[in-house]
Amino acid sequence: MCMFKKIFWLLTLLTLHLTITLIQAASIPDTGCMGCHGQPEIARNARNKSSFIDPAKYSGTTHSIIGCTVCHDRVSPGHPGDGYLSPKAVCGDCHGPVNDEYVKSVHGTKARCNDCHNPHEVRLPFFMSGDEINGKCAKCHDSRKTIQSHAKWLPQADLHIDSLLCISCHTSSREYAITLSIESRAPGSGTAFKLATFPELTALSTDGNISKIIDQNGDNMVSLAELRAFNHHLRSRNMRLWGMMTPEVVTHNYQIMVNRWDCSFCHASGSKAMQKSFIVLPGKNGDFSRIPVEKGAIFDILYGTPDFYMMGSTRSTALNIIGALIVATGLSFPVCHGFFRFLTRKNRKEEHHEA
Amino acid sequence: MRHNEMVYVTPLPVRIWHWLNAFGIVTLCITGLQIRFPDYITVFGAYKAAIRLHNTAGTVVSVSYTLWIFYYLFVARSLIKLYVPTLDDLKTGIFRQAYFYFLTYFLGKPNPHHTTPDSKFNPMQKAAYLVIMLVLLPLVIVSGILLMYVAPLRELFMLLGGIKILVGSHFLLACCFTAFLFVHIYLATLGHTPLAHFKPMWNGWEEEEVIDDEGTETTVASASDTKPAGKDVI
Repeated sequence: MCMFKKIFWLLTLLTLHLTITLIQAASIPDTGCMGCHGQPEIARNARNKSSFIDPAKYSGTTHSIIGCTVCHDRVSPGHPGDGYLSPKAVCGDCHGPVNDEYVKSVHGTKARCNDCHNPHEVRLPFFMSGDEINGKCAKCHDSRKTIQSHAKWLPQADLHIDSLLCISCHTSSREYAITLSIESRAPGSGTAFKLATFPELTALSTDGNISKIIDQNGDNMVSLAELRAFNHHLRSRNMRLWGMMTPEVVTHNYQIMVNRWDCSFCHASGSKAMQKSFIVLPGKNGDFSRIPVEKGAIFDILYGTPDFYMMGSTRSTALNIIGALIVATGLSFPVCHGFFRFLTRKNRKEEHHEA
Repeated sequence: MRHNEMVYVTPLPVRIWHWLNAFGIVTLCITGLQIRFPDYITVFGAYKAAIRLHNTAGTVVSVSYTLWIFYYLFVARSLIKLYVPTLDDLKTGIFRQAYFYFLTYFLGKPNPHHTTPDSKFNPMQKAAYLVIMLVLLPLVIVSGILLMYVAPLRELFMLLGGIKILVGSHFLLACCFTAFLFVHIYLATLGHTPLAHFKPMWNGWEEEEVIDDEGTETTVASASDTKPAGKDVI
């Protein structure tokens, strides 16, 4: 019994010690670390390797909330002069389920977590642009070769690769929405469109709030009328809204999804699947925010999303009605004329007999 | 007195073009329907199969249209004569023909237009074909070709007002063609027999009803283009 008491007290003290250590570690202010690591000219180690962390980008990450010392719990006594690197936590320590899923995927042995996700800059997919997410894949997978390999079976492969996240087909990510990013280019340059930057969009706003250039009434919801009004001025501003189909629930089980070979996975998913859309706006720290768009904007006949169309899914009811009326008009002629033709068939027989 | 004469109105190249075009346009309409409404229509199986067939049929129709216009402009040199309505056609001809289709046809009166190799189409046909062949078909072909190369032609799309304008126009033009098909096939049954207008699209010869006016035969064509159809004389 005495032995059990001793073990109990020992465990209690150990737990208390660990808790206090963690609290102390978490309570060390990041400003201490960032005082050096946030300045590129200081943050060079003995091997002249930069350990600079961009404070703007880092502050936008979830990791900045828990602080540096949760992953780097100690430094050597002679830090930074002794050249020893501080220990790092393993991603799987916190992101266990994601790690388990990832290591089983075809990517598991090819790349480590931080080959795609810089832990000092990582953000949730909602706070990234589609191009930025695909850019991570393009670090290893050459875009030109990717288009060539997809073109063997995929019609308009270049268009698909421009308008989809790679993870849409190569993971079992789900619940898709259309994200509309604002892209721009220099007037008269004729060059490719690139994501509009925060300063560019700030210049268009009157009060520095860039969301107001599209969400005019500031209700954090872009109505169809606001979207149309925004699109009316886009061309003259050398801008466009670029739509991408992006998953809302992201997984890390990289593989070639068999059901994605079937075009109808996206193209016959029905108009309801495409009703959810967002405007993606850049933030000043390189992050992005989203404003939801009124349901059905994707289907608006012309000015909702003039540069976004997804065959089989983007269907304008108004246009369908006009089309149906045209076909019905054509069909009504033989029906009506044929009806009277049948009723008056004797007249034509009589004329022939008279002749 | 009435009698029938055989008139050679449709040369072989035009017939080949017509049937190629007919199958092409029907294929385009059905595959187009599956492409737009894949949730409800799966006639051609996989979506990709419908797209590939649509693109192939579109290419066939485009090439066939190019050959057709080349033939009529530079070989037969009769495009304007056959397809462009004359001033007389516009002033009276169209109304006379419409009056026939919508009234006097039901009373059993004869068709005011007589087919000859130089005047294959009545004024209403001329006006309709002019719009179909020289406006709508080129538009649907051009919009279709552009939609086959969206990424490389994105700049052009922006000049035209965006991909939605182009897709919407292509869709509405396709609806016009579908409507035209119904009217076209039905009107083709309005000859003196229901198949009278279908035969010339198969063998080139049209059986034309000729009325002798007090012993004077109405000339329907030059002698080399006509042959009497003895047994058909009424």
